Amino acid sequence: MEALPQVLLFGILRSGLYALTALGLAISLGVIGVVNFAHGEFVMLGAYIGFWLYMLLSGPLDLGPAVSPLVILIGIPLSGIALYLVATGIYRLTLRPVLRQPELNQMLLTFGLSILVVNATSITLTPQAKDANLDWRFDVMDLGFASVTFARLAVFAVCIALVLVTYLLLQRSRLGKQMRAVAQNRLGAQLVGIHVDRVYEIAFGMSAALAAAAGVMLVFQTQVSPFLGLSTLLKAFSIVVLAGLGNLTGVLWASLLLGLAEQLVSQYVPGGSALRDGLFFVIIFVVLLARPGGLRR
Amino acid sequence: MKRDLVGWGIFLAVVAAVPWTFVGSDRYLMFLANVMLMFMVMALSWDVVARTGQLSLAHGAFFGLGAYSVAIAFKLWALPPLAGLVVAAIVGGVIALVLGLVTLRLRGIYFAIATLAFAEVWRTVALQVPDLSGGTVGIAMPPLFGGDRIASYYVIGGIFVISLGLSLAVRWSRWNYAVTAVRANETVARVMGLDVVRVKVGMFAASATCAALAGAFYMPFITHTDPFDAFDIGRSVSSLVFPIFGGLYSSAGPVIGTLVMRSLEEYLRVTPPWKDGYQVIYGLVIVVAVLFLPRGMLGLAQRYAGRLPWRFSR
Repeated sequence: MEALPQVLLFGILRSGLYALTALGLAISLGVIGVVNFAHGEFVMLGAYIGFWLYMLLSGPLDLGPAVSPLVILIGIPLSGIALYLVATGIYRLTLRPVLRQPELNQMLLTFGLSILVVNATSITLTPQAKDANLDWRFDVMDLGFASVTFARLAVFAVCIALVLVTYLLLQRSRLGKQMRAVAQNRLGAQLVGIHVDRVYEIAFGMSAALAAAAGVMLVFQTQVSPFLGLSTLLKAFSIVVLAGLGNLTGVLWASLLLGLAEQLVSQYVPGGSALRDGLFFVIIFVVLLARPGGLRR
Repeated sequence: MKRDLVGWGIFLAVVAAVPWTFVGSDRYLMFLANVMLMFMVMALSWDVVARTGQLSLAHGAFFGLGAYSVAIAFKLWALPPLAGLVVAAIVGGVIALVLGLVTLRLRGIYFAIATLAFAEVWRTVALQVPDLSGGTVGIAMPPLFGGDRIASYYVIGGIFVISLGLSLAVRWSRWNYAVTAVRANETVARVMGLDVVRVKVGMFAASATCAALAGAFYMPFITHTDPFDAFDIGRSVSSLVFPIFGGLYSSAGPVIGTLVMRSLEEYLRVTPPWKDGYQVIYGLVIVVAVLFLPRGMLGLAQRYAGRLPWRFSR
C-alpha cells in the first residue's frame, strides 16, 4: 500500500496524457459537431511515428542520451504535421460530403475509418505490440514526499504544456476565436464572415495533430500496438462527456478527475487494478444518468 | 406486402430445406450454415435500431451477455440450453432497457458513445468475477444436441424467424411510421405527439433481446467461450457492416449482406495478407457505403430495377 501523496501524484501525472488526447477529441466534437471514432487511431499512428523515430535515433544513429529529447522535439512536430495532413485529407475526401447527412451516417463513417485504419495497420505493421524499451523508463526521482519516474514526469510536463499552448491559441489567436465562434453558433459565425468550412478543416487537422503528439508521448510510457486506439478513445470519451460535450476548458479538470479516480481505485479498492479499466464506463454512465450536460454547466 | 410475404415464405422454405441438400452431409458447410443464420440474426436486429437513427455499437456485447447467461445458468442450476435461451433473452432485454432508458433520452451521439463503452466494459466485468465467469480460462458447456449441427440449425433457424419477424413487423406495422419519423427528424416527431424515447428504447430492447438469443445459441453450439471471445468488438462490427453492405432499413438487406460478407470473411480470414486484419474490408465497405451507396447492394439493385422484368421487393 502506497502513501496517499504518492497516489495523488501518480493520479495527477496520469491525467496529462489523457488531457492531451481528450482535448483533440473535444475540439473535433465541439467545432465540427462530429463524433470522431477514429481519434484513437490518430493517437496510434502518432505513436508509431514516435516509435520509429526512437528506433532510428537510438539504433542506426545511436545518439545516446540525446535520443529521448530529440524524439520529443522532432517527433511531435513531425507526427503533428503528418497527421494534420492525413486528417485534412480525410476531412476533404470523406467527412465534408457527409456533414449535411444524418448523424448516424457521420458516426458510421468515422467508425468505419477507425476499423479501416486499425486493420490496415495490423496488416502492414503486424498485430504484435512493440516496445521502445527506454533505458531510463524506470529511473526514479525522489521528491521527498513521493517518488516518480522521470518518464512519467516528462510525459506529463510535455502533454500539459501542449494543452496550455492549445488553450492559449484558442483564446488569443484569430483562428482560435474563429473556432470558438463556430463551436458556439455555426450560422452566426458564417454570418459574420467566418469561412466555416475552412475552420472545420483546420480544427479536424489540429485535433489529429494533438492526438499524434499524445501518441509520441505514449512511447515513453507503454507499448505501441495497432489496437491501442480503442481504449485511448474510450477514456477520452469519458473525459469529454464528464466535461460536457464541446466544453474545452472542462477537459483539463475532467482529465484530472479521471486520472485521480483511476489511481485511487487501483490503490485502495480490492482487485482495483482491473476495475480501473472499467472506470471510463462508470463515469460515462453516471454522468449521463445524473448530469447529461457535463459537470460544469 | 402480400407479394413480399410470398417472397419471404419461399425464402424460409429454402432456408428450411438447406440441411436436406448436399450441405447437410458436410460438417463444415453445416457449421457455416449455422453461423450464417446466427449473423443474420445480429444483422437484422442491428438494423432495427438503425431505423430509429441510432448507432448501436453494443450488439456484440449483448451477444456475449446471452452466451454467458446460458453458460452460467447451466453451471449454477444445470439449466438445459433451450431453457437457457429464455434466461438469455430476459437478461439481454432488461439490461438493454436500463441502458436505453439512461442514454436514449439524450442526443444520438451519447447513445453511440455509451454503447461503445458498454461493449468494452463487459470484458473487464467478466474477468472480475472468475467464480461465475471462469475468468480468463473461460466457461464451457456440453454441445447442443450432442453436436448435431442439423438439429442446432433449426434452433438458430427459430431465432432467425423471430428476428426476421421483428424486422418485418416493424416495417409493415404503424411502427414503420414511428421509426421513420424519429430517424428523419426527432423534434418534428416529438411535436407530432410521438413518444420518441419509448420508440427508441422499445426498438433497442427488442433488438438487443435478439442479439442475446444469438449469443445464447452460440454458447452451446461452440461449447466454450471466454471474455475475449464473447465480448469481441469484431462481432459488433460485423452486426453493422452486414446490413450496411446489403442495404439499411430493410429486411432483405441484412440477409443479403450477411450471405455475401460472411462468405467473403470465411475466405479472407484464412488467406495470408488479410488474415491479420480482414476487417479492413469492413472498414472500407462502411466508408464506401456511407459515401456512395447509402442503401447498399439493395439500393444499387433498385436503381436498375426498372430494367428488370420482375418487381423488387424489400
